[in-house]
Amino acid sequence: MTMTRRQLVASIPAAALAAGLPRGAYAQDGRKVVTFWFGQANSDGQAALRNDLVEAFNASQDKYLLQLEVKGAAVNNLLKVALVAGNGPDIVQTAGPAYLTAIANAGQVLPLDDFAGKYKWKERFLAPLLNTSVYGGKLYALPRDYESMHLFYNKELFKQNGWKLPTNRKEMEEVADAALAKGIIPFGAGNADWKGVNEWLMTVFFNNVAGPDNVRKALSGELPWTAPPFVEAVELSKAWYNKGYFGKNYFSLTIEQSFLQVVNAKAAMAFSGTWSFGTKSYGMSKPDTVMDVAPTPTLGSAFTGSLVHLACGATLSIAKTSQNVEGAAAVFEFMLTRKFYEAMNRDWPGKWALPVKDLPPEMLSGIGYPLFEKTIANLHEAFSKGQYGFTTWTFWPGATNSYLIEGIEQVWLNKITPDAYLTRMQTLFSQEAREGKVPPLPPRTA
Amino acid sequence: MWLFALPALLINICIILVPAVLTFTAAFFIWDGVGTPVWAGLANFQNMAADPVFWSALTNNFIWTAIFLTVPVCLALVMAAALLMAPKARIVVQSIIFLPRIIAVAVTGRIFQGMIFSPATGIVAWLNEHGFSISDPLADPDRSLYAVAAVDIWHWWGFLAVVFLAAMRQISVDQIEAARLDGAGFFALFRYVLLPGIRPTLTLMLILTVIWSFQVFEFIFIVTRGGPAYGSEVLATFAYRHAFFEGDVGQAAAAACVMSLFGLCATAIYLWLQITDDAQST
Repeated sequence: MTMTRRQLVASIPAAALAAGLPRGAYAQDGRKVVTFWFGQANSDGQAALRNDLVEAFNASQDKYLLQLEVKGAAVNNLLKVALVAGNGPDIVQTAGPAYLTAIANAGQVLPLDDFAGKYKWKERFLAPLLNTSVYGGKLYALPRDYESMHLFYNKELFKQNGWKLPTNRKEMEEVADAALAKGIIPFGAGNADWKGVNEWLMTVFFNNVAGPDNVRKALSGELPWTAPPFVEAVELSKAWYNKGYFGKNYFSLTIEQSFLQVVNAKAAMAFSGTWSFGTKSYGMSKPDTVMDVAPTPTLGSAFTGSLVHLACGATLSIAKTSQNVEGAAAVFEFMLTRKFYEAMNRDWPGKWALPVKDLPPEMLSGIGYPLFEKTIANLHEAFSKGQYGFTTWTFWPGATNSYLIEGIEQVWLNKITPDAYLTRMQTLFSQEAREGKVPPLPPRTA
Repeated sequence: MWLFALPALLINICIILVPAVLTFTAAFFIWDGVGTPVWAGLANFQNMAADPVFWSALTNNFIWTAIFLTVPVCLALVMAAALLMAPKARIVVQSIIFLPRIIAVAVTGRIFQGMIFSPATGIVAWLNEHGFSISDPLADPDRSLYAVAAVDIWHWWGFLAVVFLAAMRQISVDQIEAARLDGAGFFALFRYVLLPGIRPTLTLMLILTVIWSFQVFEFIFIVTRGGPAYGSEVLATFAYRHAFFEGDVGQAAAAACVMSLFGLCATAIYLWLQITDDAQST
């Protein structure tokens, strides 16, 4: 059938309307659509999202159709605007509890307690991570993954130079000085493409110098950020930066370039997160003959041994205005299936490490990635026992965390003193604490 | 006559005036972008005035303005005058110097960041390997603003030159020939014929430069994100950080008001100059 020009013109608004179907719309096959916006994903990640999440979910049942859009780095801003306008997706993914706090406080997402009861989510998730999304006694999100800062190092380089894996600050500095003497950068690091690298490092300094108990006290308002343990932490970070431990080009190298320095033996170690496992271009192979990874050792006197850092890289909620609440919950339930867990962690390691309680070793054994398996197993055990530090991007409120990232550059580049930095941080933190912007804080054990 | 202006007026009211009024209003509220705004009076402006980063951002905007009122303008004027005198080279040279303008800002930023200034993959790396000790200017808080300005100048000056050349070509050929017959050299011709001949265009571009300089954002955000250590922070990156990283929309709106204030001042000066010119010509 040929259309007349008038019919063609008349069809344009209808087509435009169809393209912008509101939530609650039905797909052609009669299934109710569930919308989900995702942030950044590399090509491997996008393939994993498409195959392991969207296609697998849609093939698993006939009631709902998951539609996923990869929105890029600006997703957090887009999401806020869309939620206020009532046009957000059904599934609201944030970059962690620190981002969720404002959205949950504003009532833009639904309490999940009914679903949690129905699907027994509270029994199935690790409490420390699930509780980061509890506000006023109500659960507003599920944690999508867990992360921690770790010490990645070139084991070949260590072997060649007879270096032992450091277990405290003295040993760490001995290795770093020995590396410097040989023209090797002690820690591969660079923030040219992502200033958040500053907070990765400061998470290590605050927790591993001042100690996780002091950090928890500060986050709960019992200890000011200007207290001596934090001064020591900031001063050590400055001393290390000024000694050249992070190389001459910290502000010029991208994350990938700096990490590859470790893989290529131009740098000895790197403080990086468990997300590094999921980036093939970082040179982490499966199984790896060059690289190894360990929890970060103590760098002060507050504790001995090593420490992992509790982080939730993303939370999953259901929008207040969602027209398909049941469908969104069904997607969450699908994510908790063993098949999804295995497939996603095989294809995109570290990105979707759902913090479930029952993580038998065989769930990861098919991945063929020993370093990742070892790290996740250690994290699971530490998080289960409450033995962890606190990551800045999960537990620091927005303005304080933003200043933590930006202001530390002023300290390292001798523009302000550590005292001035911590005083400003305390001012911002006090204000945000008064305004209820500090994310929920889980207990920890020694 | 008003009917003809109505469509444009309506569009401007919807997409310019309403957001501008909302932004101005937001400057008097504490708002995280998703919750309920709370009246704050002048608190956002007071907090901004007490923040040293705001003052360094404002200073950087003034430095940026001074740079862009001089360096690219001088380069463009000299190039336009030279091209006026050399008509055969005009098309080729214009195409070359205009090229940076049509390359996307993000691409230009990444080219300078990764292929020129980078100590790992750029010309700076190559120079260091060949005995020249040069550090990445983007990594130095005292030089980063100037380094980003250099990138923007590269992107901008060719466009200015083409605009100035177009204006110069409107000057009467007889006037230029007469000056030459009177023995005027390049600089005398430039000073006494070409510059006065393009005065309205020059004034407009200078005023626009002031307005744009207080709104500068893309290059700085892409290349340095205002760093390191706030070294290249300007009002726009200051506002962006508050709005989207710190969840403080009110503070961001207050910074936006300051940016608009300078734009308004520049616009007022331009209108005053126009009125003065009109009065003189009647």
